[in-house]
Amino acid sequence: MAPSQASYAPSLGKLLKSLNGQTLEASIESFIYLLKRRQIKGDDCADATAHLLRQVIAKSKWSDVDQLLTRVQNVGSRLAQAAPHEPIIGNIVRRVMGLIRDEASEDRNADDLGSETASDIQSLSMNAPRPQHPKPAPIASRPQTLTTMPSFHVSKAKSMFNLLSVVDTLDSPVTGASTPMSQAQPTSVSALRSEVLDGINEIMDEISQADDQIASFAEVQIQPGDFVLAYLPSRTVERFLVKASARRRFTVFIASLDPPQASSSTDPYAALRKKLNAGGVKMISIASNGLMAYMSRVNKVIFSAKAVYQNGGLLVDSGASVAAQAAHAYSKPVIALGGVFKFCPEDPSDEIAGETGDSSSYVSYADGSKVDALEVENTVADYVPPELVDVYLTNLGPQTRHHLASIMADHYKPEDVGFSLIPGEV
Amino acid sequence: MSSKQSKGGAAAKAKKPTKAGTEEKREDVLQAVVLADSFQDRFKPFTLEKPRCLLPLAGVPIIEYTLEFLASNGVQEAFIYCGTHSEEVETYIHDSPRWSPTSIISPFTSLDFIRVSDATSVGDFLRDLDKRNLMSGDFILVHGDLVANIPLDEALTKHRERREANRDACMTMVLREIGEQPHRAAKARVITPIFAVEPSTGRCLQYDEMHPLQEDHYANLDPALFEYPEFELRSDLADCGIDICTPEVLALWSESFDYELPRKNFLHGVLKDWELNGKLIYTEIVDKGYAARASNLQMYDCISRDILERWTFPYVPDTNLVHGQSFKRTREGSCLEDGVIITRGSKVIKSVLGRSTTVGAGSTVTKSVIGRRCKIGKNVTIKNSYVWDDAVISDGSSVVHSILANSVTVGEGSQIPAGSLLSYKVRVGDGISLKPDPTPRISLFDHGRHPVVADTSLVGEGGKGALYHEALGGDDDSDDEEADPAILQTTLLYSLENLNLSSSSISTLASTDDFESGDGDSHAGSYAAGNFGEGRSRLSSFASYDSAAGASKSSDAFHSDAVHGLLDALRADDSEDFDSAKLEFMGLRLANNASDSSMRRAIAVAFVRRASELLSPENGRLEPTKAAETSFVSKRGAVKFIKEVGVGGEGPAIQAEFALALQKALLGVKGLEVSRAGALLAAMLQQLYNLDVLEEEGILAWWGDKRASENENLSNVKEKCRVLVEWLENADEEESDEDDDSD
Repeated sequence: MAPSQASYAPSLGKLLKSLNGQTLEASIESFIYLLKRRQIKGDDCADATAHLLRQVIAKSKWSDVDQLLTRVQNVGSRLAQAAPHEPIIGNIVRRVMGLIRDEASEDRNADDLGSETASDIQSLSMNAPRPQHPKPAPIASRPQTLTTMPSFHVSKAKSMFNLLSVVDTLDSPVTGASTPMSQAQPTSVSALRSEVLDGINEIMDEISQADDQIASFAEVQIQPGDFVLAYLPSRTVERFLVKASARRRFTVFIASLDPPQASSSTDPYAALRKKLNAGGVKMISIASNGLMAYMSRVNKVIFSAKAVYQNGGLLVDSGASVAAQAAHAYSKPVIALGGVFKFCPEDPSDEIAGETGDSSSYVSYADGSKVDALEVENTVADYVPPELVDVYLTNLGPQTRHHLASIMADHYKPEDVGFSLIPGEV
Repeated sequence: MSSKQSKGGAAAKAKKPTKAGTEEKREDVLQAVVLADSFQDRFKPFTLEKPRCLLPLAGVPIIEYTLEFLASNGVQEAFIYCGTHSEEVETYIHDSPRWSPTSIISPFTSLDFIRVSDATSVGDFLRDLDKRNLMSGDFILVHGDLVANIPLDEALTKHRERREANRDACMTMVLREIGEQPHRAAKARVITPIFAVEPSTGRCLQYDEMHPLQEDHYANLDPALFEYPEFELRSDLADCGIDICTPEVLALWSESFDYELPRKNFLHGVLKDWELNGKLIYTEIVDKGYAARASNLQMYDCISRDILERWTFPYVPDTNLVHGQSFKRTREGSCLEDGVIITRGSKVIKSVLGRSTTVGAGSTVTKSVIGRRCKIGKNVTIKNSYVWDDAVISDGSSVVHSILANSVTVGEGSQIPAGSLLSYKVRVGDGISLKPDPTPRISLFDHGRHPVVADTSLVGEGGKGALYHEALGGDDDSDDEEADPAILQTTLLYSLENLNLSSSSISTLASTDDFESGDGDSHAGSYAAGNFGEGRSRLSSFASYDSAAGASKSSDAFHSDAVHGLLDALRADDSEDFDSAKLEFMGLRLANNASDSSMRRAIAVAFVRRASELLSPENGRLEPTKAAETSFVSKRGAVKFIKEVGVGGEGPAIQAEFALALQKALLGVKGLEVSRAGALLAAMLQQLYNLDVLEEEGILAWWGDKRASENENLSNVKEKCRVLVEWLENADEEESDEDDDSD
């Protein structure tokens, strides 16, 4: 986290440090450009997004929940559009928006005890049309939508005028603020703010603890004597394997993109190898293009997901899809690791899975004849269809595809799903 | 909960950065200087109306890439030097939501423009920068046409370590390896930089440049190089002008007021005078990442292709670097912005299409960049081309490997051949096929920015624009290179076909042509090849460097320069003085390390040519005696010069050599009959005798020398001097008689 003294290049650590000193707009902008330049990627995006949204809630001026939601949604959609290749960002934004709605409705419930009339009007207002929504929300969530979003205005409402104005409260929150009814407003704003900030802190804790929690299931998943294939092990997978090595004796195949070089001093997984060897676990590096040959020997395949879509499909590092298919052909179980915050209530899109990266990762730019002759397409992400995945190992424990829907429903509000489709103000 | 509240409060307070905070940071602020004008006109006619750094490269003004590169490396304070079109650059930056100095979202804490009214070169900018005293520590110096994604952290750290170890380590150049094979980026840059680098430390020892049009394909090595235990000569490095400098670099610029170019003048000069200034310049050679300068049209072409092929990642169109862009990459590898309409039946392959551009049915767009709001008609073919905003390309036309600037209109069924450059608002009428030769460079303005009359024979009825011709003479001072390579750099296509080139390539260093040097004893450049083998040379051709060729070459160069210099001085009517010529001659001698014999030869040739010129009808047909006298005596100091330099007063042997040189030189003069030559030789020898330059012993020694009568011509010439020699012998006797008498 702490960059060395000599480093000038911006990074996640620097961004987080500078959050307090900078204006909000500057922080958002620098985060967007860090994303664009790929100076923040992968799981770090989740953490950074949570930090940034925390700043949005703490710093921006808002007098009611709608303003706050609009604000978060605006910032969120800008981030999501800047980095369509990182669906995690959207997850965090949705989580935060859901959190705000929950806290607001709790507040309202507390208010409601005192004001009978308000809830009457609220029940009336349930039938008011909501043209802003991109798609009709499911019936079950409908009351919640309306009660949370315009709750403050409605609770102050005295006349039919306000009733009708519910429709445009989103855009003109001033009407609500100008009603002299609620003295409680400032206190509830600050109370709400602190509630939401608390909630975001919890999300941040969840993100940071996810890896450990996932690792705690390692012993159950890995049996003694197993041969485990780990494709391009991420931080999550590494921790998982190390944890397993404390109790279990097994063998790990590490499939990496480059063929392992005997003389190479720069083994990217040297640290992991050391840790595993300390636990008596053997680690064997294999080239990803040869992993099919090992598949008959392998007991299970492990890789971490960049995102889990609602149909159960995975967004993974490029090449992991091949590993999953190979495992499927040999009927070996595929275990996808990923915290719940990676669960993305969207359907997979071509655009994201087809993201192409830097051509020079595979062909050196110095190789003039190749540069002229070849067209290099470096897809950085792959899509793994749901039928190839057997177990989703989350921080809440192992899940199957059929449970994903309920987890998604627990964590996201349906009305936030399409948040990034509403264009954000700049 | 209360603790949370206080946190929120603290965050709110921290909105305005406190002054103390910024001052603490001050220590560690990274500064950068962008040179947004390169004083070249390689992008003409486009740069008549817009500065180079604002020309769109894959839909984004070039300077955006440069600034983004700086921002990605954590630069906090940037200074931009603008020359021509400075208002436009400033307006662009001020209007940009991201870079505007007043914008709160700018990644730079400050961004300033510096204008220098009378700057004519990059050197003037840097000398001005030195005066301003703005640079507090290390800073990054880049050009405003840089596209790079190299992380500089490592280079910065190394630079700082070196500087702390040795205060004289003042500059680190970041260079990108581009391999030994032919590389499109190497071809496009035209000029090949050659770095001599000490491999263990990365110190740069010598810098030179080569280009395909130079007369000889040699790189002259500084003999001092061989004192280093090892060095590498590298021509496989792309120099993209990224320098990490300390303020001492600016002081060096100030010291040398005539340096104009950062490489050819400054780097070459500073390294050459290393023993005087003691400054060390290092290289940081990277083999990852991308860096290139859009320094000419071919580089523009090359970088555009690199962007399309994603070598410049993450600086690719679908990153949407500039605010308001909305490029998305399609499965086919094209990048399309919102509102692009590609009619069914047309193909767009690996191209970039800007907002609201429409492509009609049956059209094919391949590996091209099309700007915003362009209208491409039906059955149009566009290949490898760069079309900027608002262009209209009508039905049935074709555009191949060309650049079409904003608002260009191409009429129906027209053909735009490879290499064409159509400047702003040019209109090519219907059914016109532009001829590929001469390369169509069509503009509405001439080089003086005056509107031109439409050349209807070229652009057709209703067309606008005429061939653009380069300004002659006037701009040469500000030009980067000698005229030759500049020709290569102003075209989009790299082609040597039309240029009359010798077929030898850079790698023919080992030619052993022997010039008529006549002297086997010259030492210049005769460094043992064994020595050379120690330095691991990159180009095999360098290893086979032939010392003899080098020697003859250098002495030959000396000879012709020296003879010309002396002749000019002798011919000069206005000046009576010969001292400056002498000074120049001695300078040449030192520079080329010329031997005594080659000096003698040069002097002899110069005077003989002058004397024989005087014999000719144009110069009054002087008699040989008179001619000899005039050539020696007319200039004050000439005689003294011959006496001191040509003969050196070291006895009869040397004098005989000089006489021999005169004799040979006379035979070398064209159109001089042998008899006349003999008469002239006699006259000259007598004159020199009278002037006490040659003594009788010297002349007699020459008379007796076998070499003087080696062949028929020589002996014929010599024969004419018999009278003189006999007279001399007699005089000698008389003299000795007189001596005897006096005794």
